[in-house]
Amino acid sequence: MATPALERTGRTAETRREPHASEARGPERRWVKPVLLWLAVVLIIVFCLFPFYWLINVSLKTGPDLSQADLLPPEPTLDNYQSIFENADFTKALRNSVGITFITTALALVFGSFAAYALARLRFPRKFLLLAVILSITTFPPIAIAAPLFKLWTELGLYNTWAGLIIPNLTFALPLCIYILASFFREIPKELEEAALVDGATHFQAFRKVVLPLAAPGLVTAGLLTAFFVWNEFLLAITLTSSPSARTVPAAIAFFTGSQKFEVPIGTISAASVVITIPLVALVIIFQKRIVAGLTAGAVKG
Amino acid sequence: MLRAAAVLAALAIGIAGCGGGDDDDDGGGGADAKKVTQAKASGDVTWCIGKDTTGAFGTVVDNFNKANPDANVTLLELPEAADQQREQQIQRLQAESDECDVLGMDVIWTAEYAAQGWLQDITDAANKRKDEFVPSTLDTALYEGKYWALPFNTNAGFLYYRSDQVPEAPADWEAVYQQGQQDNGVVYQGFRYEGLTVNFLELLYSAGGSVVNEDATEATADSQEVRDVLTFMADGIKDGAAPKAVTTYKEEESRRAFESGNATFMRNWPYAYALGKESKIADEFEITTFPGYAGNEGAGVLGGYDLAISAYSKNPEGALAFMNFATSPDQQVIQASEASLPPVLTEVYSDPTVEKALPFAADLLQAVEQAQPRPVSPVYPQISEAIFTNVYAALQGDTSPDEAASTMNEDIQKAIETF
Amino acid sequence: MEAATARLRRRPRGRDGYGRSERRLAATMLAPSLIVIAAVAAYPIGYAFWLSLTEYSLRTPGLWRFAGFDNYSEALSSPEFWDALTTTFVFSGISVGLELVIGLGMALCMHEAFKGRAILRTVVLVPWAVLTVTTAITWRTIFEPGLGLAPVLLDKLGLPGADIVWLGEEPYALGVMILADVWKTAPFMALLILAGLQVIPDELYDAAKVDGASAWQRFRRITLPLLRPAILVALIFRTLDALRIFDLPFVLTQGANGTTTLSLIAQQELTTNRLIGLGSALSVLTFLIVMAVAFIYIRALGGNIRALAEET
Repeated sequence: MATPALERTGRTAETRREPHASEARGPERRWVKPVLLWLAVVLIIVFCLFPFYWLINVSLKTGPDLSQADLLPPEPTLDNYQSIFENADFTKALRNSVGITFITTALALVFGSFAAYALARLRFPRKFLLLAVILSITTFPPIAIAAPLFKLWTELGLYNTWAGLIIPNLTFALPLCIYILASFFREIPKELEEAALVDGATHFQAFRKVVLPLAAPGLVTAGLLTAFFVWNEFLLAITLTSSPSARTVPAAIAFFTGSQKFEVPIGTISAASVVITIPLVALVIIFQKRIVAGLTAGAVKG
Repeated sequence: MLRAAAVLAALAIGIAGCGGGDDDDDGGGGADAKKVTQAKASGDVTWCIGKDTTGAFGTVVDNFNKANPDANVTLLELPEAADQQREQQIQRLQAESDECDVLGMDVIWTAEYAAQGWLQDITDAANKRKDEFVPSTLDTALYEGKYWALPFNTNAGFLYYRSDQVPEAPADWEAVYQQGQQDNGVVYQGFRYEGLTVNFLELLYSAGGSVVNEDATEATADSQEVRDVLTFMADGIKDGAAPKAVTTYKEEESRRAFESGNATFMRNWPYAYALGKESKIADEFEITTFPGYAGNEGAGVLGGYDLAISAYSKNPEGALAFMNFATSPDQQVIQASEASLPPVLTEVYSDPTVEKALPFAADLLQAVEQAQPRPVSPVYPQISEAIFTNVYAALQGDTSPDEAASTMNEDIQKAIETF
Repeated sequence: MEAATARLRRRPRGRDGYGRSERRLAATMLAPSLIVIAAVAAYPIGYAFWLSLTEYSLRTPGLWRFAGFDNYSEALSSPEFWDALTTTFVFSGISVGLELVIGLGMALCMHEAFKGRAILRTVVLVPWAVLTVTTAITWRTIFEPGLGLAPVLLDKLGLPGADIVWLGEEPYALGVMILADVWKTAPFMALLILAGLQVIPDELYDAAKVDGASAWQRFRRITLPLLRPAILVALIFRTLDALRIFDLPFVLTQGANGTTTLSLIAQQELTTNRLIGLGSALSVLTFLIVMAVAFIYIRALGGNIRALAEET
């Protein structure tokens, strides 16, 4: 796929200006490129969507159908979905995930925007070192802090609580937020803030009234990416919680005992997985521009 | 967020008192353990046990709640796999959580839990009912002279075979494997976990071998018997008597393979009997006690679950009441008939309902009475890991049986010498 | 915060109201984040290091003793550790490499596919949106011996591999793990690279074409060099993620059959074997290894980060 793609890269420049120009290629090859392109596009779509389709497929099967590998459920049924919503453990896990994600994201945005502003705009010594330290947090393997946190939380009574998960998730989310927000803050023209300062505002007021509103898209992006991260977090979730009262969805799914009696809980696990993924996919569809902008903030700037 | 302030405050203290020695120094297998002597059927009790695959656990809970309106027992299902059940229980116990009152423990965890001070001493309560239980089952609850649990169900493995493919079960394992090679194969629990230790020990005990000495203070795994058994099992896979997939099987996977018609023989616990009778091969399989091996009689390994009271339970009397109920004759009959869970009370084996549900009840009692325990040691999990990792390596062909045996010995010795 | 602001308001203002007040404000604004990070990252790492120097008894509750570097020598002399290390690096290398190549291909495609670009971008984010745990479960189902889609499909198509117990054998289990990881993150790479592609000015290509450069030459001389920053950033993030991977092997195989990674082996010692000292030592070793790789990368990217920090 490499070579045709490379040739097509060249054509992009031309196609933009003159959609039907073909001066670079002879007429006999004009149809090959689009076809190959569409083939590649189809491949990409299948590659990306198929496993997710398979998940939905399995979630609609029960009983002996689960042991067959049919591409379409022979007898589609919503039993699995019904049973997971009747499963108090699952609904509680959903509630926990939503709550913990929401609170962590809110806190990350508040703390992170403060820190990002300081890093992007204010002058103080050793900024580079500080940024390096903050970013280095993102490289921590969570396992390294799992056992100490377990012991610490046990002593402090934070084991199996929301706070017990919010705090470490916040630590990992902050660098991400700071990095993204700092990039966005830097995009805002300094003149606007300087005008505010001249008018008698303090730095903090300038931050609150001028920079934040303009960086709203950045906040949305950072918030979304943080939320995705927290929602996904697994290792700390299984280490620091043990019961439905605080367990988040990834941990609950991994240990799903299922509500069916004999069944392999694959059907219900898949249904649960679909239920959790659909909102994420919806968010992705709505906010794809934001998410991509956030993900690529580093790539383009950095 | 007030917690955050508490965190910061405690940090200073934490840094000062950095690290060790701060764990509970109370509790332990010794005289300090809490004792429970009275049972009182009231209050909330949470029963933490592995997945209720047959619904029988739920039935016991319902019956208890109906009979005791002042009490409310809830069933908290842990994952299907025993290893994961243990991890989840230990996580709570290490965190001193009061979430679980009654712990459904695999019999091999009793020594470990008791040594760590996680259980309450119920010697008196157990002694009162001593004569009701099958003696070997009570032994699983014994550690350092005290009783820490009541047996809930017991287990001894059986050989399942397709009666339509094989008219009569072969007399020894060697024949089973040979027959399996010709027909559809033998399936067992060959995954890298505790179940493999069981499967291995069953053959090893039949061969007259052992992995540790009497009081589990020395490893004895570098022996001819161990090598022979390892060779036998590894060759079984190499020659196709057992499918390669067997190394990914736990109990459920092997049961499913057998039920879907993909195997002629299966080694599994009795629970699979009731489930098999509801599957598509309901009329086409039989069950029998273990065949012999290496000229000796077949030997079994004692399995099963005990019920114990968590040291951190807020309602130990209620927990004891529930435990007594769950191990009473009527409930044991239900467990046997609904879930094929071998009862722990001798008299239940002659109950007509049980004999109907488990036609092999007499064999089962005999198997249970004669089954041998796995090494009793507070570091049993490490010993078991030493066993199953090396057996697995031999099965996969990664090491030769000889290497596997000596490495196993080294690993077991290291485990025994753990601080 | 309000008190600080009030205090600042009373100071003389001007274009150079920087200096001490600015530094103080900076300190205040950075404080919450730094406290959280110090509390939850720095302190536990220190505690983990302390724990790695101790040994807790498995037989007697609460009993522990100082063990110096024994845990480290035990870890470093155990074949399991080196296996895990190798597995982790092999996995990371292959995974990230494949993600890069496939991601590059996808990005070039998306760059080209003018009309369907929005749809493609959404579609491509779906694997990224699916929970890691879910990904592992899905792929585990697909490769279940005999019954999963993969063996059945291979069997029907008459391709080799229908009999392989994928998740039950080395090296196939690792292969499945790599496949799952690539599926999940190649799209992410694609997006990062796409962003980089989109800022390459068309004029460069036009000029090159006028000079008679072939497509391949244009790719090698223009596209690749200009994509370098984007690729490097993507590489850093992905490599560090891959080195730390836990969710996937845990759910997929529990580490069996050659899929045990560094994080997994540490967790197993901590949780299953309850060897806190050894587990902590392994955690610290994992931490050091990941940091070392990060350090190497940052040197390569150093200039860019400096720009972010110092530009004013």
